[in-house]
Amino acid sequence: MAVITLPYKYLERLTRTDKKTILDKIALIGSDVERTEEDHADVEFFPDRPDLFSPEGVARAMRGYLGIETGLPSYPVKPSGISFTIDPKLADIRPVLGAAVIRGVSFDDESIQSIMSLQESLHWAVGRGRSKVAIGIHDLDAVRPPFRYIASPRSRAFVPLDYTEWMTMEEILEKHPKGRDYAKIIKDFPLFPLIIDSNDHVLSFPPIINGELTRVTIDTKNILLDTTGTDKRAVGVAVNIICTAMAEAGAIIESVEIGGVQTPTLAPAERTVSVKECSRLLGVSLTAPQMAELLRKMRFGAEPAGSDKVKVQVPCYRADIMHDWDLFEDVAIAYGYDKLESQPPKTFTVGKPHPVQVNAALAREAFTGLGYLEVMPFTLTNEDVLYKRMQRPETKGVLHVMHPISIENTVVRTELLPLLLEFLTLNRHRELPQRLFTVGDVVLDCLTHLQAAGVSTHLDADFSEAYASADAVLHELSIVYTVRESNDPAFIDGRRGDIIAGGKTIGVFGEIHPAVLNAFELEHPVAAFEFDLRAVPGYPAL
Amino acid sequence: MVELTQNEKRLLVVLEKERKADAPHLARLLETTPEAVVQWAHLTQDKGLVTVERIVEKKFSYTDEGKEYSQNGLPETQLFNVFGESAKFSDLQKNNTFKIGFGQLKKKGVVNVKDGIVFKVSGASTEADEAALRNPSADDPKTKELIRRGILQVSETVRYIIAITPEGTALAKKGLDLREETGILTREQIISGEWKNLNLRRYNVTKLPKKAYPGKVHPYQRIIAEMREILLEMGFEELYGDIVQQCFWNFDALFQPQDHPAREMQDTFYLKETLPLPPGYEKVKAMHISGGETSSTGWGGIWKEEKAEQCVLRTHTTCLSIQHLAHNKNPPVKAFAVGRVYRRETIDTTHLAEFEQLEGIVMDENVSFGNLLGILREFYNRMGFESVRFKPSYYPYTEPSLDAEVYIEDIGWIEMGGAGVFREEVTAPIGINYPVLAWGLGVSRIAMLRLGLKDLRLLHKSDVAFLRETPSLQKAKGGI
Repeated sequence: MAVITLPYKYLERLTRTDKKTILDKIALIGSDVERTEEDHADVEFFPDRPDLFSPEGVARAMRGYLGIETGLPSYPVKPSGISFTIDPKLADIRPVLGAAVIRGVSFDDESIQSIMSLQESLHWAVGRGRSKVAIGIHDLDAVRPPFRYIASPRSRAFVPLDYTEWMTMEEILEKHPKGRDYAKIIKDFPLFPLIIDSNDHVLSFPPIINGELTRVTIDTKNILLDTTGTDKRAVGVAVNIICTAMAEAGAIIESVEIGGVQTPTLAPAERTVSVKECSRLLGVSLTAPQMAELLRKMRFGAEPAGSDKVKVQVPCYRADIMHDWDLFEDVAIAYGYDKLESQPPKTFTVGKPHPVQVNAALAREAFTGLGYLEVMPFTLTNEDVLYKRMQRPETKGVLHVMHPISIENTVVRTELLPLLLEFLTLNRHRELPQRLFTVGDVVLDCLTHLQAAGVSTHLDADFSEAYASADAVLHELSIVYTVRESNDPAFIDGRRGDIIAGGKTIGVFGEIHPAVLNAFELEHPVAAFEFDLRAVPGYPAL
Repeated sequence: MVELTQNEKRLLVVLEKERKADAPHLARLLETTPEAVVQWAHLTQDKGLVTVERIVEKKFSYTDEGKEYSQNGLPETQLFNVFGESAKFSDLQKNNTFKIGFGQLKKKGVVNVKDGIVFKVSGASTEADEAALRNPSADDPKTKELIRRGILQVSETVRYIIAITPEGTALAKKGLDLREETGILTREQIISGEWKNLNLRRYNVTKLPKKAYPGKVHPYQRIIAEMREILLEMGFEELYGDIVQQCFWNFDALFQPQDHPAREMQDTFYLKETLPLPPGYEKVKAMHISGGETSSTGWGGIWKEEKAEQCVLRTHTTCLSIQHLAHNKNPPVKAFAVGRVYRRETIDTTHLAEFEQLEGIVMDENVSFGNLLGILREFYNRMGFESVRFKPSYYPYTEPSLDAEVYIEDIGWIEMGGAGVFREEVTAPIGINYPVLAWGLGVSRIAMLRLGLKDLRLLHKSDVAFLRETPSLQKAKGGI
């Protein structure tokens, strides 16, 4: 999530109202106020609205929402006369370039910080950590157009930002902090992307680092924006969001020529939407003029086009408008969620529990009737608990997660009993007897099913208790079974039985082997059993 | 009515005649030991029916040394008697009582020494000490001194004098039931009718009970059950399904772009297993690339089958909802699931890598965003949250989207879940032609608030004492 710092004074000046009015309503356009300080507020915005990742963008939206200035904001763009060429060898490396000239900026420390943080938020939300889009901001007056975006040998050297010595691009990937952070995006390419001016001075090594030469300071008056990436739409969105934010702050935007095309245009997209469809989706009855007015409040250009249509101009910075319903959401926000009539639907339906959960509830009832206490262990565990301490071989079909968080959570459980023994270990200091059970999902070969298991530990816990408890639970679930001697190594030889139903082994019971007790650091005998609830008559196939 | 044991009653009966007696006497009458009599008497005294007087008596006797002195006199007396008015110190030294006797004489001021000559002080003697030796008395300092010197020894004997009080007399006069008491009632006594003649021992019913721990379901399971109950009452059908899902159903069918951050390895548990894509997956692919046949633009870019085939541990139960819809295209559909979902989060007190999510969907011909708000209001009200409000939010597969907040006394507004209408990009490829309202919430959040947990892990790695002591009925005031 993007948390944006909004300095009150700047925000008030841009929005043209007081901070209380803004903060009272800011959540209603889709945000969470994280904290309010003496001179600024930190507000979190959703990743689908990168246009709100700057005070300028927030002010623009709030002016509309508060009725101070509604409708489509216009951003005139004239050509700068500056051009870029793109090296065709970049086609498989990082083919897309967007750029713009931003003139007449007046920076102070705070506004430089603000543009840097917009840049970082866009890297995160639109750029997927710079892989899809990377943005560079340069002091235009430090370099000489025209510019070239080239695929350069990896050995080319320049002075990267925050350094004083020359480094080759390969060295930058190894030594520069930004190089190390983002090396993985490009390190496998034979050539590296590079932006240079007509004197062969380096502006930028995208997506890694700018050159020190074009560093932006409070004295910078004119900016060159470069945006490179792999996705044309995403690159365009990043350019539009930065340019319109800077324009809101008072700068003049000029286009550059890239491959014969003037960019950016900052022109709106058009969409014609149905009033009826919108009314039906939201559950309110709107007219075309009402809907158009609500859309203008959200800074769209909108005019009724007949009784059922509204012609909408979508500002260039609204990357999230992909579908008509995206506009309808803005209509709902402008209308106010709390003003919508909230009535449950009237259609008659009948509730129905899932048979698996019905079985689970019956198993719980049987266990609790026997005095067993339910526990709900994690489903992620590890081979040590599931197999090694149980003296059992690894169960066929166990799933290993590819990138576990810790050695504690490497596999999805295939049995429940080991987790109950782990529970007894955790509760060694608690009063005996302890009788615990769990009913829950296990996974084998990507398929999930329910199992049930119980353990009882006290001075006299033995085979006959395990047998009696298992028999009672199985009986309550109408499982008809037979028993034959088991060879499960988790139990004592001669004191263990396999539960057979429908010709299959569905479970096991008996006295836990002392070596297993030692492995779980348990001191008292444990009577235990576990079985597969798929043996319950009527258990559905998933 | 005063509760008396059999023995206390017998004591009172005897004392009614004796009025006042010592313990050995009463023990003889009651055919027991004096110690037992004293114990019963103390219990009866607590009820105000007798008084117990404790008398301590001291007896003096001679030690072996004392025995000798009682015949021959104390060493100082013996030494005193071997000379007249005065004697040479060196002469006295030869006497075998000198060692103890001389020191005592000096200390008591009976003699003085000047220039090697010992003089008797006029009128002084050891008479008082000899008297104490003959007739020791507890308060006499001379006696105490003799005890200290190991000449006398003292032994204490305790006597108990027990007397009946007027209350005791009144009670005894009324007559006491002296039949033998019965503890456990036996089968024979019940069927033979013998119970009619039994004097069943009365128990102290106000003492704390012995602790018994019932078997019961987990308090968290109880909260899950409560939510299921509410949704079943509201006419929803329950879903249950696989923990392991293809990315296709977990992400792609929900219009999550393949490069979405939530799909990255660092947020989702991936498995090396893959599953073949379902028939008709191309429609989902077309939706991602170009928006298919809808007004959507799609995400653009590329869409890879290999990415969709990859298996993950489900990151939400929405994957069950969407598959249910794919198999049930006729309205109305109202379904819900409560299931465990997985996020690759660093585990701490408020974040777990696996947790329960509740999700509901409604698909019907004319359902609206307003209806969704209505369902949520109803659900949260039934959970006990009286005040519910909604605010705009963002979820990749719903549009419009909202977050629901409920008001909890002493805490304030708390975010309780997200909701929205499934995007057409989600419903169109699986052939759903009507709006689908969907909402979800984290069950553990409610559990944490209601059970007052500071650490979510306790739900799954529980202290048995916590489970035993948490009552099945949780006070649900304002939902918490």
